[in-house]
Amino acid sequence: MTNATRPGPARRTGIPPRLLGLLGLAGFAVLIEILPRVGVLPARYFPTTTAIFGALADYAGDSRFWTALGQTLRTWVIGLTIAVLAGVAVGVVIGAVPVLRALTASTIEFLRPIPSVALIPLVVVLVGSGMSGTLVLVVYASFWQVLVQVLHGVADVDPVARDTARAYHLGFGYRVRYVVWPTALPYAVTGIRLATAVALILTITGELTIGTPGLGKLMDTAYNSGLEAVPSVYAIVVVTGLIGVLANNATRAAERYVLAWHPAVRAELPA
Amino acid sequence: MNRRFAAPIAAILLASLSLTACGDDEPTTAPPGQNDQVKAGVIAIVDVAPIYLGKQQGIFAKHKIDLTLETAQGGSAIVPNVVSGQWQFGFSNVVSLLLAQSRNVPIKVVANGNNSTGDTKNDFGGIVVKDPGITSPKQLEGKKVATNALKNIVDTSVKDIVKKDGGDPSKVNFTELAFPDMSAQLEAGNVDAIFVVEPFLSQAKAKGWRVIGTYADVDPNLCVALYFTSKELIGKNPDLVKRFTDAMTESLAYADSHPDDVRAVLGTYTQITEAVRKGLTLPKFPSTINKDAVNKLADLSVTYGLMPSKPDVGALLP
Repeated sequence: MTNATRPGPARRTGIPPRLLGLLGLAGFAVLIEILPRVGVLPARYFPTTTAIFGALADYAGDSRFWTALGQTLRTWVIGLTIAVLAGVAVGVVIGAVPVLRALTASTIEFLRPIPSVALIPLVVVLVGSGMSGTLVLVVYASFWQVLVQVLHGVADVDPVARDTARAYHLGFGYRVRYVVWPTALPYAVTGIRLATAVALILTITGELTIGTPGLGKLMDTAYNSGLEAVPSVYAIVVVTGLIGVLANNATRAAERYVLAWHPAVRAELPA
Repeated sequence: MNRRFAAPIAAILLASLSLTACGDDEPTTAPPGQNDQVKAGVIAIVDVAPIYLGKQQGIFAKHKIDLTLETAQGGSAIVPNVVSGQWQFGFSNVVSLLLAQSRNVPIKVVANGNNSTGDTKNDFGGIVVKDPGITSPKQLEGKKVATNALKNIVDTSVKDIVKKDGGDPSKVNFTELAFPDMSAQLEAGNVDAIFVVEPFLSQAKAKGWRVIGTYADVDPNLCVALYFTSKELIGKNPDLVKRFTDAMTESLAYADSHPDDVRAVLGTYTQITEAVRKGLTLPKFPSTINKDAVNKLADLSVTYGLMPSKPDVGALLP
């Protein structure tokens, strides 16, 4: 990759930015180790870094942890997939038909701001607390992220290109593929990246609050298992954080790959 | 262009295809000769050890039940799942069930859950104070007491304990906190007393904090929780309900006579460490329902304004 040679503000120090980032992380870990030890934070409720990683090591040998991790990833990926496919399909159709767009705009603006967590009581009663319950929350929250971005993308199509396509009597399928899609793609990719994070948040929230099997629920059992299990709670927080970081890196990489032709991405490369 | 379009979509489709193959499957009535697939909703706490033990010991299998235990945060999440038929049976505290009965929720109790140890000095749930100046429950007048839920079994018990000690329960200020958060709040001085259950009670005692009242002070046989089902299932499959009751009764008797097995099984569904499991006080697991104790809680619920009139306890219990 060209990242290492990319100029950045850290160049002045002579230390590569990536290493500097890791140093910062290590500093944070040391801080969390020291603060409970010297009594600034109550160690019983805020364990040291070593205690948290000790709990994490215990989890590594516990099949319950790996099952929960698998369940979380499954709910997350399925929810995200449904939201992305539905968001893109609905966005392209609504965006391409001005009448539909005008008809749905107010409804979308009404439904979109509803926080997914506000639907929890409804979901428990209607769908239950299994995976499908959390899936409803995940899909609801991440669908809007994709849809709104795709709608903006479709609206951004160059009028000259659109009129040219019309003048050549291109069909709906062709127009979507050669005119709408290239313009909307960068927006859609942004929407997908946002949806990835939102879907993970809602997956853990659903597990934690309605009891869908997964990391969130494992965290809840640890939370209810007495003060000795407090480091386990923090260990799962660390794991969910790691998943978030990996997901963000993956979507960034996918973005660079899919949009390699796009000026915004090309500009990132050193000239 | 085409390739860029297709690659991510194809990858996503592939992932979803391979993943959706393993979704939740609904339990169905078993064909003759096979075990019934049954889901029971419980809370992953000490109180439900007998049902885990019964499953582990093959007691449910013996009664032709393939039991799956689903855990929820509280009875409020379990009742709707049982009423809607997602789960066939559920575990809930007695006051929540009485509240449900007073609102005509179509449920019925099928088996006992757990009871007070009957030992006022050593029970699985009690009032803990940090201030050495507080030595009796009536001193809680004007104090801030943490309860896991308002208008439920814990605050009702505290009020009854205060009243029995000669205090005025209406002068106690309650505040809602989750059991795991209570010790920290007491330590920080944000509340004056907490009502905690195991494993938090033994950990609070280990800090040298004083226990000034327990479930046993309300009633030595206080029935804390019960197992229930929907009236719909009783009408549709009375044989299954009877087998569940039989298996549960047997599991309770086994648990009550095998405390070491109970402590061991706790390690399978909670994350309570072994040292804590060994030291905590277990509830009693009588195999029969103490109707007088349930009636007493129903009376207390009316006294303290949880419900306007006494619910039909006879209709709720089997």
